[in-house]
Amino acid sequence: MPEDKSQKVTVNFEFRRQLDEIVGGDHHNYCYQCGACVAQCPAAKYNESFNPRAILLNTLLGREDVLLAKDSPIWLCTNCYSCYERCPQDVRPIEVIVALKNLAVAKGVAPEAVASMTENITKAGVSGLVTPAVQRMRERLGLEPLGEYPVDEMLKLLED
Amino acid sequence: MKLAPFYGCMIPIKYPQMEAAFRRTMPNLGVELVDLDGFTCCPDPIFFKTKGVLDWLTVASRNLCIAEENGVDLVTLCSGCTATLKEARFLLAEDESLKERVNERLRKIGKEYKGTVKVEHAVVVIRDELGIEKLKESVVRPLDDLKVAIHYGCHLLKPSQIMHVDDADYPSILEDLIRAIGATPIDHDRTLLCCGKGCIDDDMPIEMVYDIFTSIKAAGADVMGLICPTCFSSFDLGQIMVGRKKDTEFGIPVIYYFQLLGLAQGLTPEDIGLNLHKVKPDKVLARLTEGAEAAPPAA
Repeated sequence: MPEDKSQKVTVNFEFRRQLDEIVGGDHHNYCYQCGACVAQCPAAKYNESFNPRAILLNTLLGREDVLLAKDSPIWLCTNCYSCYERCPQDVRPIEVIVALKNLAVAKGVAPEAVASMTENITKAGVSGLVTPAVQRMRERLGLEPLGEYPVDEMLKLLED
Repeated sequence: MKLAPFYGCMIPIKYPQMEAAFRRTMPNLGVELVDLDGFTCCPDPIFFKTKGVLDWLTVASRNLCIAEENGVDLVTLCSGCTATLKEARFLLAEDESLKERVNERLRKIGKEYKGTVKVEHAVVVIRDELGIEKLKESVVRPLDDLKVAIHYGCHLLKPSQIMHVDDADYPSILEDLIRAIGATPIDHDRTLLCCGKGCIDDDMPIEMVYDIFTSIKAAGADVMGLICPTCFSSFDLGQIMVGRKKDTEFGIPVIYYFQLLGLAQGLTPEDIGLNLHKVKPDKVLARLTEGAEAAPPAA
């Protein structure tokens, strides 16, 4: 019988190696597709296009085209850690998803929200804006005003 | 006991009423709060970690180093800060080569992470270090008959191999802390559901908040009690926005645990900034005050 090439599975090991380099990404290798991560996943419950087991399967196949697509399901994760709690293989699925997000950021395909939500941390060392209104609110509560944050020292840590 | 509070960003900047409540209640439990200089954002375990795990871990380690240099354990007020700082400790203890990579970066600013300080959320410090009895002793105005629907949030409990706080499926820590100040914890169907704030999706968090408040309303709670400023943002202003979309009004005030404790310790609503909340807890406060005035003198 002739070989049916349409049934062939190709694994992109290069993509998996890239993931292995990121802290937490290497744990994707432990996944045996049991689906324990799905049962309590709130994102899977509220949006049928999100399924942590399916994300891990695509990771095992090295499906960069799916995982780092503009509309990749990885961005629907609520970061609740239920999958980490459930996984019998110590895959820590949430951490694999975060590692995938790191790759998306590095390749410039992450949603705009990632940059906007972290902009002030790299600018001022804190996630929120310390405005005069904030200082007045603190004063009315009898709290000390907020000073500067050591952002320069923090930024030195980010230079590789 | 001496502890260094790690206030983070959201509490001092967005919800300073939570900081005020914490600063005014913890000393009544025998804690000396030592404010340390030099912290930055924890950093945020959702978006900053999304940008780069190693950067996130290194900035977290720098914050831990400051506590180490001062030889004092950290107490956190925010579930996000707790998640970041405890996971950083966990990862650096688990993987010696990772710790070396982080320390290589820290050396650029003359720091070294050693792993000598503990980090716990304030509610865990109360339960494990100070004790529920001490908490009860600090109460001068028990919140009798106040029905509190607890929202645990995700990051106090999960993952339990890092957090070591409670059973992640059947927790009791917040119920115990609520009972100790005289209030009644109200069980409801969505006590452990995520608030949805961590996902980049417009629709999902709306449905989650809607389900949580529908469940709380059905259970007959007076207020929601919680311990996380991110959940608070989903629920205080959040319930109003969701209510508008769904053509309903929940009217359930959302109160941070240390504000409830403050009321029980005799602080005024202004001391703990309850006036800053979008859903005003006025009816609840009026009832508590009436209750106190109508109560017969102690025999």
